[in-house]
Amino acid sequence: MRSGGPGEGERLFDDRRLYGLLRRFRVDLRPDESRAALFLFVYFFLITFTFYIVKTVKESFQISVNERWWGYFDLGTAFLIGFVVAVNTRLLNRLPRRKYSSLTLGFSAGCLVLFWFLFELAARRTFVIPALLVLAKDYWFVFVFAFSFWSDIFIAMSVTQFWIAVNDALHPHQAKRLVGFLVTGGLVGGIGGALFAWGLSRVRPPHDLLLVGPVVLVLTIFAVNLVHGEQERIRGGKGAEPVRAGTGIGYLESLRTVRGDRYLRILAGVLASAVIVGQLVNYQFKFIVKAQPWDARARTSFLAIFFFGILVLSAFFHLFTTGRILRRFGIPLALLVAPLVLLLGTVPVFALSAAAVTTLAGRSWAMGMRGADKMFDNTISQSVRELLYIPIPAEIKYKAKVFIDMFVNKFALAFGAVIYWVLYRVSSFAEKSPYARVRELGFVVIAVALVWIALIWIIHAEYLETVKKDLGRKWQDARKVVAANVDIDLTRLIVDTLQSREKSSTLYVMNLFQLVQKEKLTADLMEAIGLKGEELKARSMDALLDVGGETFFPGIEEAITGKDFEVVVREVMALPVYQDLMEKRMDDLVGEKGVSDVVRMEAARVMGLMEPTPGVLRDLSRLLQDPSPDVLTYALNSAIVHLRKEHVPLIVALLANPATQQLAQDTLAAYGPRIEDVLKKHLQDRRERPAVRKAIPEVLARFGDQKAADALVAELGSCDEALEPDLIEALYRIRSSHPQVRYRKKRVAAAVLSLARRNAEDYLAAAQAGAAEGPGPVRKGAMDLRMKLIFDLLTLLGPPEDIVKAYQNILRGGDRSADYSLELLDNILDRDLKAHLLPLLENLPPDERCRRLKKLVRGRAAR
Amino acid sequence: MDIKTWDHRNVVIFDINGEISRSEMPEPTLHQQVKGNLERGKRDILLNLKNVGFIDSFGIGEILASFVSTQNLGGKLKLCHVSKKLYLLFQVTMLVRVLEIFDDCDGALKSFEAL
Repeated sequence: MRSGGPGEGERLFDDRRLYGLLRRFRVDLRPDESRAALFLFVYFFLITFTFYIVKTVKESFQISVNERWWGYFDLGTAFLIGFVVAVNTRLLNRLPRRKYSSLTLGFSAGCLVLFWFLFELAARRTFVIPALLVLAKDYWFVFVFAFSFWSDIFIAMSVTQFWIAVNDALHPHQAKRLVGFLVTGGLVGGIGGALFAWGLSRVRPPHDLLLVGPVVLVLTIFAVNLVHGEQERIRGGKGAEPVRAGTGIGYLESLRTVRGDRYLRILAGVLASAVIVGQLVNYQFKFIVKAQPWDARARTSFLAIFFFGILVLSAFFHLFTTGRILRRFGIPLALLVAPLVLLLGTVPVFALSAAAVTTLAGRSWAMGMRGADKMFDNTISQSVRELLYIPIPAEIKYKAKVFIDMFVNKFALAFGAVIYWVLYRVSSFAEKSPYARVRELGFVVIAVALVWIALIWIIHAEYLETVKKDLGRKWQDARKVVAANVDIDLTRLIVDTLQSREKSSTLYVMNLFQLVQKEKLTADLMEAIGLKGEELKARSMDALLDVGGETFFPGIEEAITGKDFEVVVREVMALPVYQDLMEKRMDDLVGEKGVSDVVRMEAARVMGLMEPTPGVLRDLSRLLQDPSPDVLTYALNSAIVHLRKEHVPLIVALLANPATQQLAQDTLAAYGPRIEDVLKKHLQDRRERPAVRKAIPEVLARFGDQKAADALVAELGSCDEALEPDLIEALYRIRSSHPQVRYRKKRVAAAVLSLARRNAEDYLAAAQAGAAEGPGPVRKGAMDLRMKLIFDLLTLLGPPEDIVKAYQNILRGGDRSADYSLELLDNILDRDLKAHLLPLLENLPPDERCRRLKKLVRGRAAR
Repeated sequence: MDIKTWDHRNVVIFDINGEISRSEMPEPTLHQQVKGNLERGKRDILLNLKNVGFIDSFGIGEILASFVSTQNLGGKLKLCHVSKKLYLLFQVTMLVRVLEIFDDCDGALKSFEAL
């Protein structure tokens, strides 16, 4: 068997069996993620196992030295970390990630053996290296200082390398799902390490604990190789190439990356505030532990069992609370938990008495505060902090993460140490009781926690903006595309003009006249429709207006594009004698039986050019009830000119006719909001023809006012599923064109949930029918349409552009953009909506989707 | 007007015969038939106008409504075999800016595959 090769994992772990096993533990993963998730879990387990052994020894030794040095331990680490970061980045540039991680771990194992040896010498008070005696009289302090420094580097580097491996191996939404599982690995590893340290510290001196580390680190090297082998296997199949070592990333470049990005600067600020508060709480804890009458073994044993307790509590908190808090309240509230608890937890210290420091009350407070800080740091804060990196592009993320985790972290530590040092000097800590020191540190904890909360507030807004940056529209709203490029009215008129040429010269000329009126009869258009002077001369309004057998308007070709033409026609049409004559002729034509369609079309057309006398309007009413769709078209074109209220019911009736529906909608829209009440009545009337009811929302959408929106939303609650798509589409159109309009959110949300529930029921019905691959094409088509309606409605509840982008990217985007869309929805939708929509949208295994959807459907039924 | 539809992979092809006009309006209309396909989950539509001699304002409205319904669901609606006369009409009315028009159906079908 090759060590750590890609094929090794395949032989060791069968995908399906492993998936089944992990699913039993309710890990939210997909079959192809099983091995990567398990290897990362083991990797983190081993790292934290070692980490807690080292940490216990380090803290015990630090407390043993005089408290004036505590700040210097942290300061030393913080200042020297810069060199380590430089070396770290240089090595990352030169070595492949896999080799680099293995070498680092191997080096750490060697260091642990060396430190054990030095502490052993110190414990026996014998020295084989005389130079050390020369360098430092207090060699115990020197060893503790060196060990503290090394252990901080070890912890920072190994944890950073682990999270970089996670970021390389998983997509954002994958990471969000699996981060809980991985953190569990870390917690279990820490619990194991702390328990081991507690047991061993009872029988062996503290430094002997260090010898366990090298053994575990050798196992970690094996796990690292499995993780990288799995990454290479997945990468060979699909996915983008992650940023590799060797891309020339240096310390200064990492610094520039963070400095040049507002989001990263705030992220660094959040992390720094957390570190400073944690460190100050740690000093308070150390003062209280130091005040206890314990020897080195008892102190180490206490620290080990304390860490064990924190980690057990963290595990419970993590298992039962972290995921729920994240799912229910999202990133901002999840981030706020730690600072708020620490802020409020500091207050009781001001109520403690000075003597309480060595009592159970004092110890409990100290353990509570440090425990809370570490518990949140291990669980929810760590999870959320890692999630905050997700929207950052891979190449920037890598540079920034190295800098923030390894440098900003230590800078904050230095800042905390400086605060401690200043307080120690200015406030004369050396002369004060442990209680006074703890209380004074409490004031600073409150101040920094407030800054921390403010930064969390800011970063949440930035987080959404950063997620959105990666989402673009996949297509434009087709209605807007059409409106921007095509003049629909003109198009209709041109087409009608062409069509009328074949039917009637009268209609043709009247249509041309309208083109002239609209100043649209351009030279290009004349050429395109083959309009020539001779042709026009031969054609005139003879069919309808030829009362004397002569050409009505000779010489039209010279004037047709000029203003005079229009003026002359208007003047003629306005002549009382002409009006009387025409009205009489109209009456005859409309009342006469057996009149051809063409003649009725001509009559309907000319009514738009005439004065709206009672006779003309009466005849137009009759033509609006004509059986011929061509006549109705011209009648509607004339009705749109006069816009008489008495025609509205007739036009509404024409909404039922597919041949006239569009034009009837245009005509009604031209009336404007004054006919809203009439339309609303027809919309609400259950006895009205369905086609009429379905066509009305489009008209209301064109009014685009509050009253129209209210009418549509009110009708949305009527549970008429046939009408639903038209209502929702109209509401979406109002939302996109009139952003000032407001909606009754409860009713809209109820409609969203109803649609989601129907999709869930459809999916479950298909699953029950035994469709392993989900619903068939017909059912799926219906579900997809419903999903479109859901997103249309969501635009009324949230930022429309973001919702549209999320929908388009889920539908037509790649894995990454679909993931970002889900992340965006997760952050902008309310809890109930998320709970209903995400199980329908996320890439879930069928059994898991069914389980979640059943829960939702049952929940709704129970309500 | 008579419409026959057939599937080519994920694309639904509408072979239209006759005029697309209100006087020859089929039942269901062209737009309703397109919507029917969208409801079946078919999002790529090709209108073959090889045997279409005339389109009136109603027909233009039907084509544009079909385009809007398809595109807003993330699909594509394209036209092929448009006669010179109709193409001129589409040019004058600026419809060529909105509708993707191909000389033949093979080219149109290849363009769907390229997406």
